[in-house]
Amino acid sequence: MCSTDIHERRPVLEHVEVMANDRLAQGVGLLVMRAPRIAASVEPGQFVHLRISMGTDSILRRPFSVHRVVGDTIEVLYQVLGRGTRDLAGKRRGDAMDAIGPLGHGWKVEPGVAHALLVAGGLGAAPLGMLAEDLAGRGVAVSVALGAPTAERLVARALFERVARRVELATDDGSAGEAGFVTSVSARLLERDLPDIVCVCGPEIMARRVAEQAADAGVRCLVSLERLMACGVGACLSCVVTTKSGRLRACVDGPVFDAEEVVWDGSEVPPRH
Amino acid sequence: MDPKSPRATDASSQVDLTVDMAGLKLRNPVMTASGTFASGREYADFLDLSRLGAVVTKGVSLEPWAGNASPRIAETASGMLNSIGLQNPGVEAFVARDLAWLAGHDVPVIVNVSGHTVKEYAAVVERLDAEPSVAGMEINISCPNVDAGGMAFGTDCTAAAEVTRAARAVTGKPLIIKLSPNVTDIADIARAVEAAGADAVSLINTVLGMSIDARSRRPRLARTVGGLSGPAIKPVALRMVWQVASAIELPVIGMGGVRTAEDAVEFMLAGATAVAVGTASFVDPTATIRVIDGLESFCQETGVAHVSDLTGALVL
Ligand SMILES: Cc1cc2nc3c(=O)[nH]c(=O)nc-3n(C[C@H](O)[C@H](O)[C@H](O)COP(=O)(O)OP(=O)(O)OC[C@H]3O[C@@H](n4cnc5c(N)ncnc54)[C@H](O)[C@@H]3O)c2cc1C
Ligand SMILES: Cc1cc2nc3c(=O)[nH]c(=O)nc-3n(C[C@H](O)[C@H](O)[C@H](O)COP(=O)(O)O)c2cc1C
Ligand code: FES
Repeated sequence: MCSTDIHERRPVLEHVEVMANDRLAQGVGLLVMRAPRIAASVEPGQFVHLRISMGTDSILRRPFSVHRVVGDTIEVLYQVLGRGTRDLAGKRRGDAMDAIGPLGHGWKVEPGVAHALLVAGGLGAAPLGMLAEDLAGRGVAVSVALGAPTAERLVARALFERVARRVELATDDGSAGEAGFVTSVSARLLERDLPDIVCVCGPEIMARRVAEQAADAGVRCLVSLERLMACGVGACLSCVVTTKSGRLRACVDGPVFDAEEVVWDGSEVPPRH
Repeated sequence: MDPKSPRATDASSQVDLTVDMAGLKLRNPVMTASGTFASGREYADFLDLSRLGAVVTKGVSLEPWAGNASPRIAETASGMLNSIGLQNPGVEAFVARDLAWLAGHDVPVIVNVSGHTVKEYAAVVERLDAEPSVAGMEINISCPNVDAGGMAFGTDCTAAAEVTRAARAVTGKPLIIKLSPNVTDIADIARAVEAAGADAVSLINTVLGMSIDARSRRPRLARTVGGLSGPAIKPVALRMVWQVASAIELPVIGMGGVRTAEDAVEFMLAGATAVAVGTASFVDPTATIRVIDGLESFCQETGVAHVSDLTGALVL
């Protein structure tokens, strides 16, 4: 499988130091960590598996996409949901953690691509931020469809507006962009910008809809999927995604998959209530 | 010390960490727990496999198994539930891909075997018996017995003995039977597999459990129930290792929540000849190496010359 690729950069276990941890919006934070080895090799769409707590009460690591790389630091955009992310929000400058990374296969956008459409729902903006910067740096035209519940929660908006040709917004309450789902924005941009590729990250119901739109338009679509993860390195088979070639591991064979390959069978992380 | 570099021979270190287990001479008593380490390849980025006592592989069956629906895991207090469902590519793909890779790594390989029928178990064992790089086999009798309405082989003395006998008939390699804790009297099962020709027993497999999301009113696992592992089960595991070690003559491999060297020592005191590290590797990929190094320091500090002197040395 993919993990035998000898050119691949292998993950490391790295002690990381918190450089900053700022609240960006209600329940959303930006964590900056000094992680020279991971920063040197991470690619857009890859993630780190963070050991937030050293106790034995909550035992598993938590996976987070790398949002940006700045020098020898990596940035993680996180939403506070449960115990792990609550503890993460409490980290202060100077705190130490350990991270395994870079993990997984990210978005591989071939050199021939001239125009890419990025579709981000909520914290799906996290990995797409790094992709947008990378593509723009390579001279690829980038359009972004960005959705969130409220204007305040469009947390990566400034980054996208800095590097993309076009950023169009949707919020549930209409406080920025159009009121409604980001999928109506993506439908419009697919038609207007005629991208060569669509890259998606967000709630699975939204990702699936975008994948259908791209398929209808005959455009290749690469989707990043979330699964519950224990090991993060391919050993436990917690995180499988059903594909046309069987059940593959999101942590090493993904998290980015060709949407054509994905069998949407409801095996995503259950929604919260 | 860097877990990736081979251990330097330390002249001042007088502790003998080697153990004899069912005819296998192991460098140290620390192995990986089946299903938590795949076939080692995924962890080779983080540690030198040749430092391990043994690698115990993910369960292998005759044909490929697709495993269960997702979600397959749920974190619980000091532990986790899993219902992976023994997903694996089948014994032929395992031999061609995983075993071939592992064979080059100077570490004893113990292959964990799954089956739905006695015949399937025997067929896998026979196939693996032909592979020189297989040091031994561990039979997971927690699998559902299709011919008996899905009840696990390991919950019934007769079925457990039958699997053991069938495996024994087709291999001369060390045969370890992995016991399920989900039974009324684990010592009875241990005695049954001992009489049927096992060379060792390992325990415990995961403890059947359940987790519910109060708000959605749904089970957190797609399969509703799953196996609990991690620090939460250590007291149960210690008790069972102690019971089994007192009931049979065979060597015992202890596991269930081993995370530190002291945990390993506790299992050995309860009667284990060796231990396995499972869920802890998810949290810290170098957990096995920490336990090995820690065992050596523990022995040095407490004046234990041979680590095997700890086995059964519980003071009552
Ligand atoms: C590849 C990948 C990249 C991710 N990137 C980001 C990111 O950049 N920013 C961000 O905010 N979140 C991201 N997530 C989701 C993030 O991992 C979860 O929100 C987080 O684990 C929740 O932990 P908790 O303890 O707060 O929640 P709890 O609900 O208390 O966690 C309980 C268990 O469920 C797991 N879990 C809960 N929700 C999710 C989820 N959505 N995905 C995976 N596991 C989950 C936890 O890891 C833990 O094992 C990513 C997930 C994956 C798989
Ligand atoms: C994700 C996962 C997969 C497992 N798969 C297997 C398996 O294939 N065969 C087996 O005999 N035991 C399997 N086990 C059980 C472990 O080998 C071990 O007995 C149990 O987890 C207790 O040890 P621990 O608390 O150190 O994890 C699995 C455990 C986990 C957590
Ligand atoms: S999280 Fe363990 S295999 Fe993916």
